[in-house]
Amino acid sequence: MAALELRSVSKAFKASKVLDSVSLAAEEGEIVCVFGPSGSGKTVLLRLIAGVEQADEGSIMLEGRDVTDTAPEARGVGMAFQNFALFPHMSAFDNVASALTARRASPEAIRGKVEKIARLLKIGHVLEHAPRELSNGQKQRTALARALVADPKILLLDDPLRNVDAKLRYEMRLELPALLRTSGSTVLYVTQDYKEAMALGDRIAVLLDGGVAQVAKPADIYREPATLGVARLFGDPAINLVPVQPLASPSGPKIGIGGASLSLPASYAHAIGKRCMLGLRPESLAVEAQPSQESFDVDLVAATPLNEKTLLLLRTADGRELLASEPNADEAPRRHGPAFARFDANAVLLFDAANGRRIAPQSA
Amino acid sequence: MADIALSLTKVDKIYQRRGKPPVHAVKSLDMAVERGEIIALLGSSGCGKTSTLRMIAGFEAVSNGDIVLADRRIDQLPPARRGVAMAFEGYSLYPPLTVRDNIAFALKSARLSAKDVEKRVAEISRLVEIEEILDRYPSSISGGQQQRASLARALVRRADLYLLDEPMGQLEPQLRAVLRGRLKSLLVERRMTSIFVTHDQTEANALADRIAVMEAGVLQQFASQKELRDRPANLFVATFVGEPPMNVFEAAVENGERLRFKVTAGPTFDFASSEIPLPVRQAIGGRERAVVGVRPHAIRLGGGLNEARIVSNQWLGDQSHLAMDVAGKLLVAVSHKPIAAKAGEKIRYDAAAADLHVFDAATEAAVSHGLETA
Repeated sequence: MAALELRSVSKAFKASKVLDSVSLAAEEGEIVCVFGPSGSGKTVLLRLIAGVEQADEGSIMLEGRDVTDTAPEARGVGMAFQNFALFPHMSAFDNVASALTARRASPEAIRGKVEKIARLLKIGHVLEHAPRELSNGQKQRTALARALVADPKILLLDDPLRNVDAKLRYEMRLELPALLRTSGSTVLYVTQDYKEAMALGDRIAVLLDGGVAQVAKPADIYREPATLGVARLFGDPAINLVPVQPLASPSGPKIGIGGASLSLPASYAHAIGKRCMLGLRPESLAVEAQPSQESFDVDLVAATPLNEKTLLLLRTADGRELLASEPNADEAPRRHGPAFARFDANAVLLFDAANGRRIAPQSA
Repeated sequence: MADIALSLTKVDKIYQRRGKPPVHAVKSLDMAVERGEIIALLGSSGCGKTSTLRMIAGFEAVSNGDIVLADRRIDQLPPARRGVAMAFEGYSLYPPLTVRDNIAFALKSARLSAKDVEKRVAEISRLVEIEEILDRYPSSISGGQQQRASLARALVRRADLYLLDEPMGQLEPQLRAVLRGRLKSLLVERRMTSIFVTHDQTEANALADRIAVMEAGVLQQFASQKELRDRPANLFVATFVGEPPMNVFEAAVENGERLRFKVTAGPTFDFASSEIPLPVRQAIGGRERAVVGVRPHAIRLGGGLNEARIVSNQWLGDQSHLAMDVAGKLLVAVSHKPIAAKAGEKIRYDAAAADLHVFDAATEAAVSHGLETA
């Protein structure tokens, strides 16, 4: 039995349908990241689960119980929004404890619970401080402690790191999975940042145009995105897309890029004749000074360093721009001018141009 | 001799505030930019980078010092007479003109034929992808499009210097990498001397030949991306530049038969002194304490003296980020390949002498970088 399940949930505001028959299930203790561009309905989804919005159609199940018509406070759902605002006039301790006081627990029991969660989140030493005396990181942890201390069965987090500076956001990204697991809660975590989704989620639900485009483990989504739309959202820089139409040849399917005829693996024979989009991740595109059997001519337009990599902007013979990335080497910097590009045929993605769906390779 | 396009000499910016102490936003800034160079002013908000750009543009007066562009002293000239093209806040598009006319207006003084104007506008519009909004008015386009339009207006004309404020700040991530490549290609090809301000080191690294890292009004280091990465001048630069930032720990130093750095409740980095060049050992000298740093990409996993508990191991599709709990802090290692290890497990790690940065514990100035002195 899933801890949380949405069954064909739809929601419209006035004439515009924000969620269109969304189904999604999360197992107990699982962290599911709900990821998508702004306006894709992520926040509305959380609000429906919390009960602060009503679904037009479909049902919401918590541990097998239909809560579609249950009041928000009776659902056992904890929710924290962007920015995790703390009560400024209360100490960190009282902020955390505020999540428990409504439950008529004894002061000793409350103290015990708050101190335990504070130890785990490394804020035990600042519990008596007011929010303004806390560093940004401590504020963030205090707010998280408040969300976790009541042991909500379901914890809904709406882009909690959005307004945090880059350094702290990175640290929290590393630490959050372990912290979230301390409560055993099932977590739905909304984010607009694909790296955050990949780093935090046991699985990612990609929300696009009001529907769930794919639900899968992070590495699987990156390697095998279900659609063109999903492929575009994962990767920095974004995936290269080239329209192609595979043709038959004695040595297997061939495609044309910038006038060159290049081989696809035989497992794409079923795509022959179809109008397709070829998806090439920048890291699966190699740039060389010498031509080889499966290389094509490019003009190396610019080399721009990116952390420990270098991005190469390439222009094909027919004027198409491609990005390749390579780990930094201690060789001489790349020279602008003619070069030869080659893709890793096993890392190629192919999409049906008509409907955007990925064409999976088929073994013979 | 280098061909200097722009030089700032002992430039100060002091903001006088009524009833409050003055703010010294830029302190005795010396900087020389060669013709055709692309320079980034990088720092967090309030570091003085924007004040510097505005002084060069002429929107702020210098409090002290002088600015020379193309052999002319310009710090007393009005903005329009400085020979500078700009794209930044407070220098927005003219609302009554279409995007096309805004860009073409910048070419007015160039006395080009209508045909040439059209050609240049078309070319630059293609580069920043605003061809479809050329006939719209500024008020009817998005913030990102306005930004690209003002970038086009600055780049379309010929000038001694181009000043750009966060040129790619608001762009969709899917577009950013390609536009950066195109912009760099244009600036390099036409040898356009440029200075841009950014708080985003990805943008600085991608575009700039040299990066001026500023903090608290002071130029911390002015060097190439590679130099900043390999030879940061001080602890601030070391931990500010680099994503993720350099791991740094204060350590006890032993500099005898062996060169050893021992972090309390943390790692020990231990080398035979024969591995370390004499000048480096001399630079470290008799210090008892120092700050040691290792970049995340240089942490070696799966062997070595030290062991730590894994906090998380995150695969992002093209790289792995592994965090360990070390001396109550996170130690981060990054690899371009997946790392086979789980959160909660222990893992051994180490760093090579060539990858260790040493900083003075008191002044925070760099002492050595790997096998070279600072």
